[in-house]
Amino acid sequence: MSNVISASNLTLAYDNGKKEVIKNANFQVKKGEFVFITGPSGSGKSTLLKSLYGAIKPTDGSLIVGGLDLNHISKRKLQELRSHMGIIFQDYKLINEWTVAKNVVLPLIIAGYSTDIQQTQAQKLLRHVKLTEQANRYPLELSGGEQQRVGVARALSKNPFLILADEPTGNLDEYSSSVIWDLMENACVQLGATVVVVTHRIPHIFNTPHRRLIIENRGIYEVH
Amino acid sequence: MFILPLVAILLGIEFSLVFNRVTHDYEEKLKANYSILVVSKRAISNEEFFSIDPQIADPKPIKKGSIAKEIAKNIGSVSTKEVLKSLPYFYTIHLSNYLSSEEVEHIRKKLLAYSYIKKVETFGESHSSKYNLFIFLKVIFWVFVSLISLVSIFLIIKQMEVWQMAHKERMQIMEVFGASVMLRSGVLFRMGIIDAIISTIISAGLFAGIKYKWADESGIDLLIEKKDILFTTQDLIMMIGVALVIVIIAVIIVTFSNREIRE
Ligand SMILES: Nc1ncnc2c1ncn2[C@@H]1O[C@H](COP(=O)(O)OP(=O)(O)OP(=O)(O)O)[C@@H](O)[C@H]1O
Ligand SMILES: [Mg+2]
Repeated sequence: MSNVISASNLTLAYDNGKKEVIKNANFQVKKGEFVFITGPSGSGKSTLLKSLYGAIKPTDGSLIVGGLDLNHISKRKLQELRSHMGIIFQDYKLINEWTVAKNVVLPLIIAGYSTDIQQTQAQKLLRHVKLTEQANRYPLELSGGEQQRVGVARALSKNPFLILADEPTGNLDEYSSSVIWDLMENACVQLGATVVVVTHRIPHIFNTPHRRLIIENRGIYEVH
Repeated sequence: MFILPLVAILLGIEFSLVFNRVTHDYEEKLKANYSILVVSKRAISNEEFFSIDPQIADPKPIKKGSIAKEIAKNIGSVSTKEVLKSLPYFYTIHLSNYLSSEEVEHIRKKLLAYSYIKKVETFGESHSSKYNLFIFLKVIFWVFVSLISLVSIFLIIKQMEVWQMAHKERMQIMEVFGASVMLRSGVLFRMGIIDAIISTIISAGLFAGIKYKWADESGIDLLIEKKDILFTTQDLIMMIGVALVIVIIAVIIVTFSNREIRE
């Protein structure tokens, strides 16, 4: 199977290259894989994830995501790539002025789908994350766990080929966490999406063991 | 949200347009009313006057028949014709521009340089006092309009900061999900354009009110007389144009200063 992510000699840094977070790392993620990325706090997990959706550029080496070289990508291509990704943040990053239903279909709004499709898709997604009742509420009226379920529904709304999640269940209750892990596992197994999840606590709800990468001393290594 | 400063700017611009038109008109009037008296030993043609100084306009000989008749009557022994012959020629001349006292004096000297011109009366006093008042009003007005514009620009910058704060999150989130610039800032453009339209309506309404209602009731001669120049269709087009340009520039600045999510 082809690689969805391919990094070779990848170096990521802040402050104009002065502060190197990851140096000369090599790893690949195949299509349909579910990968956990772990590592100590401050090791560069979020930084790596940001580089995968093009928010920061490699200072050295190459990074290819979805067949596109992120070192040399135009604005339009990056927008296109992002519109096929589903990104989940630890702090949800919902649009607080929009209703839950509208937040969920943000990717469909960006893709220019009709409001009919948006509405039916919103209902379906909110059913999946068990938030049908909250459709017309606003994010700040929801609990943290509920908000993150909205975030996950949003990430899945356009059947992304790649799902990137940064501590999606960071400090959520058991129920919300299990709904979220189920949805991501489902997207991977049934829809063939590739999933990369940053977390420092691997949930033990999975029957099959998943691949794990660890970031340590600026390198990225396989955990066996 | 841009309405208040936009209205201030539009009113300032409209005020200066109207002021310019009114002062232009007033200048014309001062010019028309102001004349110089020239006394000459011989007749002077219009072309001769223009060649002395190009700013001389509209020279007119003063009919002296009635004066001659009056003199002849008083003296008794001379005929009107004889009196007429001995009297010098009188002319009134106007100026094509509104000039300062010094410039008027300069023209007077030029005229007197010709030996046949005996006397030039410029009525200097009344001229210079009117002129000074006129300049004073102009300066006061421009200081006022500049202050209003300055305050408005400051308000717009403040408003842009507020917008930036209010829309930063949303625009950054949309960007991460691949929204184009237009999609991200579409709401801002829509709000900005609505603001521009509302402020134009308010400003235009105010001037239309002054023109069609208040001007007549004010009892101010100048306003009643000059109603036509108070507010025109071109002004309306100019107002909406200026308002749109301002909001579009503001939205573009806000859009491009909100960059990627950084944590
Ligand atoms: N915008 C930034 N500018 C400069 N340095 C940064 C920036 N963001 C993160 N860093 C630094 O880069 C390093 C890696 O940060 P990162 O957020 O990727 O860590 P992390 O592995 O996600 O940690 P955590 O588990 O606590 O979330 C840290 O030392 C951090 O201080
Ligand atoms: Mg992190």
